[in-house]
Amino acid sequence: MTVETRLPKLSTLSLVTMGLLMALQLVIKSFSVGPAFLKFSFTFLVAALVARLFGPWWGMMTAAVVDVIGTLMSGGPFFIGFTISAVLGSLIYALFLYGKPVSWPRLIIAQVIISVVVNAFLNTLWVAIMYKTPFWGLFPVRLLKQVIMTPIQVVLLYALFKSQMVNLIQKRLNL
Amino acid sequence: MSNFIFGRYLPLNSVVHRLDPRAKLLLSFCYIVLVFMANNPVSYLIIIAFTLGSILASKISLGFFLKGIRPLIWLIVFTVVLQLLFSPAGGHVYFHWAFINITQFGLVNSGYIFIRFLLIIMMSTLLTLSTQPLDIATGLASLMKPLRWVRVPVDTLAMMLSIALRFVPTLMDEANKIMNAQRARGVDFGEGGLLKQAKSLIPLMVPLFMSAFNRAEDLSTAMEARGYQDSEHRSQYRILTWQRRDTITWIIFVVAFAAILATRRW
Repeated sequence: MTVETRLPKLSTLSLVTMGLLMALQLVIKSFSVGPAFLKFSFTFLVAALVARLFGPWWGMMTAAVVDVIGTLMSGGPFFIGFTISAVLGSLIYALFLYGKPVSWPRLIIAQVIISVVVNAFLNTLWVAIMYKTPFWGLFPVRLLKQVIMTPIQVVLLYALFKSQMVNLIQKRLNL
Repeated sequence: MSNFIFGRYLPLNSVVHRLDPRAKLLLSFCYIVLVFMANNPVSYLIIIAFTLGSILASKISLGFFLKGIRPLIWLIVFTVVLQLLFSPAGGHVYFHWAFINITQFGLVNSGYIFIRFLLIIMMSTLLTLSTQPLDIATGLASLMKPLRWVRVPVDTLAMMLSIALRFVPTLMDEANKIMNAQRARGVDFGEGGLLKQAKSLIPLMVPLFMSAFNRAEDLSTAMEARGYQDSEHRSQYRILTWQRRDTITWIIFVVAFAAILATRRW
C-alpha cells in the first residue's frame, strides 16, 4: 500500500466537482434514517467517492473542511477530535480505494477499520474527553451500532462504486 | 427524516453579531478548553456567567438556545444516566445493586456533565445564530492562512468552500424536488425498518450525485470562459477587519480563563 506524497494539481473541473461534492455532503448530512439511537447518514458515500476520485490528500483536506463547516453551521459543538476522525476516515478510504480496483475484500476491510477504529473507538474517546463521560460505558453501545451499520455501509459502497454513474464521472474527469 | 436547516442565522443588531467572525470562531474553539478546565462549583459559575453574558449581549431569546439542545437531548440523558449509575465509588453511597452504584461522587459528576453539555451546545448555537454562513466560511478561510507555510493549498480550499456554500441551497431544493417526484411514484421515505429506509434513499442519492456533477461541469466551463486560474493572488469580495470590540471581547475571555485557572482544583 503506497501513499502519493505530492498534492496532485487540480483542473478547474476537478476543483468545482470537489466543491459540489462538499456541498452534497453538507446536504446529505441532513438526511438520516433510523431511530434516535441508531441514526444512519449517507455522508460516508460522498467521503469515500472523494477519496477514490481525488486521493488521500484532497480527500483528507476536504473531509476536515466539511467537518468543521458542517459542525459550525448546524450549531453543534466543534471539537478537533471529530475532525481528526473525519480526516482518518478519508485517509483509510483513499488507501484502499484510490487508483485500485473496487472489490468486496477491499471495501469490507476499509469499512471495518473505519467502523471499529474511527467510529467506535476514536469517536467514543472524543466524547469521553469532551464531556468527561465514562469511555467503557459508552463504547459497547457504540460498537454495537457499528456492528449493525457496517454491512449496510459496505453494500451501499459497493453499489455506488460499481454504478455506471461513478464510471461516467471518472471518465468525464479524465481520472 | 430530513431537516433542511443549514445555518440558522438570526439577523439582529447586537455587539455579538457585529464581532469579526474570526474572533468568534477562535473564541468558540477556545471556549471548549475553558469548559475542560472547570472542575469545581466556582469555576463553573464563572463559565455560566460568561456564557449568559454572551447570550444577553447577543439579544437572542433563550428559546432558540433550548431548540439547539433538543437534537442532543437523548445523548445528554444517556450520558448523564450512565455517569450516575456507573461512576466509581466516592462519598456517600445512596444505592448499590450488583455493579450499579449511585454515589455522592456520581451525582455531582453527572450534574457537572449535564452543565458541560448545556454550556458547550449553547455557545456553539450562539456562533451559528449570530454569524452568517458565508462569514463563517470567510473567517475559516482566513484562519487557515498560516497553513500555507506547510504548503496546504488554502486558496483552493477556500474556493471549494465558497462553491460548496453557494450550492447547498440549490442542492437542497433539488433534493426536495427529487423526493417529491419519488413520493409521487409511491416511495415512502422514513417508513419501515432501517434497511427499508436506507433503500428508499438510494433513488434520491443517484440523481442528486448526477445533478451535482452536471452543475460542476457547467460551472467549470463558465469559470474557464471567464479566465479563472487557480492562484494565490486572487482578490476577495469580503474583507474582514479586526475591530476594537473584538480585542475587548478577547480580553474578557482571557480574564475569565485566568479566573478559572485561579479557582480550579489542581
